[in-house]
Amino acid sequence: MDLSAVTAALESKSYEKIADICDNLMLQVAADGAAFHNDWPYAIHLLSHFYVHDINSARFLWKTIPSSIKESNPEVNAVWKIGQQLWLRNYGGVHEAIRGFEWSQGLQDFVAAFSELYTKEVFQLLVSAYSTITVEDVALFLGMSEEDASSCKCATARLDCGLCLSDAYCEEATCCDRAETRPP
Amino acid sequence: MDPLEALVAQIQGLSSSSADIARLHTILKQSDDSLRSNSSRLSPIFSLIDPSIHSLGFLYVLDAFTSTSVSNQQQAEELVPIITRFISGCSVEQIRLAPEKFIYVCKRLKDQVMLLEAPIRGVAPMFTALRKLQVSTEHLTPLHADFLLLCLLAKSYKTGLSILDDDVFEVDHPRDLYLYCYYGGMICIGQKRFQKALDLLHNVVTAPMTMMNAIVIEAYKKYVLVSLIRHGLFSTSLPKYCSPLAQRNLKPFCQNPYIEMAHTYSTGKVADLEAFVNANADKFESDNNLGLAKQVVSSMYKRNIQRLTQTYLTLSLEDIANTVHLNSAKEAEMHVLQMIQDGEIYATINQKDGMVRFLEDPEQYKTCEMIEHIDSSIHRIMALSKKLTATDEQIACDHLYLSKVGRERQRYDFDDYDVPQKFNI
Repeated sequence: MDLSAVTAALESKSYEKIADICDNLMLQVAADGAAFHNDWPYAIHLLSHFYVHDINSARFLWKTIPSSIKESNPEVNAVWKIGQQLWLRNYGGVHEAIRGFEWSQGLQDFVAAFSELYTKEVFQLLVSAYSTITVEDVALFLGMSEEDASSCKCATARLDCGLCLSDAYCEEATCCDRAETRPP
Repeated sequence: MDPLEALVAQIQGLSSSSADIARLHTILKQSDDSLRSNSSRLSPIFSLIDPSIHSLGFLYVLDAFTSTSVSNQQQAEELVPIITRFISGCSVEQIRLAPEKFIYVCKRLKDQVMLLEAPIRGVAPMFTALRKLQVSTEHLTPLHADFLLLCLLAKSYKTGLSILDDDVFEVDHPRDLYLYCYYGGMICIGQKRFQKALDLLHNVVTAPMTMMNAIVIEAYKKYVLVSLIRHGLFSTSLPKYCSPLAQRNLKPFCQNPYIEMAHTYSTGKVADLEAFVNANADKFESDNNLGLAKQVVSSMYKRNIQRLTQTYLTLSLEDIANTVHLNSAKEAEMHVLQMIQDGEIYATINQKDGMVRFLEDPEQYKTCEMIEHIDSSIHRIMALSKKLTATDEQIACDHLYLSKVGRERQRYDFDDYDVPQKFNI
């Protein structure tokens, strides 16, 4: 089974392409009739669907994974836990699921990239949805400690924090006026 | 010489130019019966002929070979790779000379992979097959429905979605269209593309029908539920272009519990709807619609919150929770946040005051993307309009249409329309 396309995409960090590559490769391999379930990188495949926000495809993929693999492979289960939290929109739970497992070498970069992307998106959501928000909630949604959240430094998110949550609870008064808090 | 050997020699010899292939085709048609009667001796032939060069010959032999029923897994295991190899290698011009045989072979492939309980094995070959058989992307082949069925069984919904984006214009058999739209609707429901699912199911329900069939009834049931999820309302009157058979008979079949559900939904009370779904759970379950029914219940919250935006400019989270029958203000906040994330509502939440302010759609229709979108829509509609005009002209010249119209006009104005009794061309 030739997984070179998948490895190449992982190395070049073109994570958004991995979902399609995996899907097409899986169909080709299945058509050839080879038994591929044991060697197939399900963890990467599932994560690639989360990366492009396609939780539905990830769910269907999970349903097709044989239960023997689900039982014997803890990493696949850990990736699925992230998926469950994404499905339930448990924003804090996603971060817990990401942190709560020792990812293997091949998966670490991918998980880190996904975590960054997700935090960035939740931050955008908070900016557009809230005019005021408590520091605890920001910490929960972004998976950070309260000091990091309240200083709006967003170190792990590495965002251009030119706009902030103008927040009566927010300690740092460097936050801008209430008026224009829409992203440019 | 053994007739089979002679045939193999001819296949090998006559597969190079189009004139030869035409001759070969005639020979093959004549030998069809002898091939079928010798079907048990055909398997060694597959190693002698090449599917890409001798496609037509291979197709005829394969058709005869698969015409015997294959009932055990071991035979299926041998047959599937042969068919797969053929489909990926065959030449398009040659197989289009015998489309019914190609379709038959592909359908046998579908049967075999289902016998082996591995529908995913058939998805890629079936996709290749339908692309090869299609004369254009607007052509709906009988293989489309089988491809979508395999995608559904193998849970490769995303792959199925890729062919649903093609606009269909030519259809070989009505049954293909029913199944294509029905399975297509199910795939779209699985990917949560409810508008597209609604369009496809609408096509099944309003398609011309000469007699009631089960596909239309099942599609109508899903149509009711998807309509509730997407639009929050359901109108029991079918459009005028529906066949009269459908207009009379669909409602009685689907009255209980689907149309009842639509009535309960319109009251706006979540508790009632939930009770209704629980009471009728086994009916929904037997139609495999229980998941969809539950999605209808959860869409009710969204519908109620959206209704609030039409009345209020700002509202407290407590009030939202009470009006929509949620348990707490925090739950209401989460619901509103999720709706903002999905783009179903425009609002800002103010946690300090516990208030939500509803906003107007910020779309200004001034961006480049929006202009491009409008431009491409205009082009599409122009192309569609041209197509309709061409079809209209075509039908106006059609023999059957003119004879029917001619006969009817007779009744009204004998002098104006000088059309003979029988319209013989």
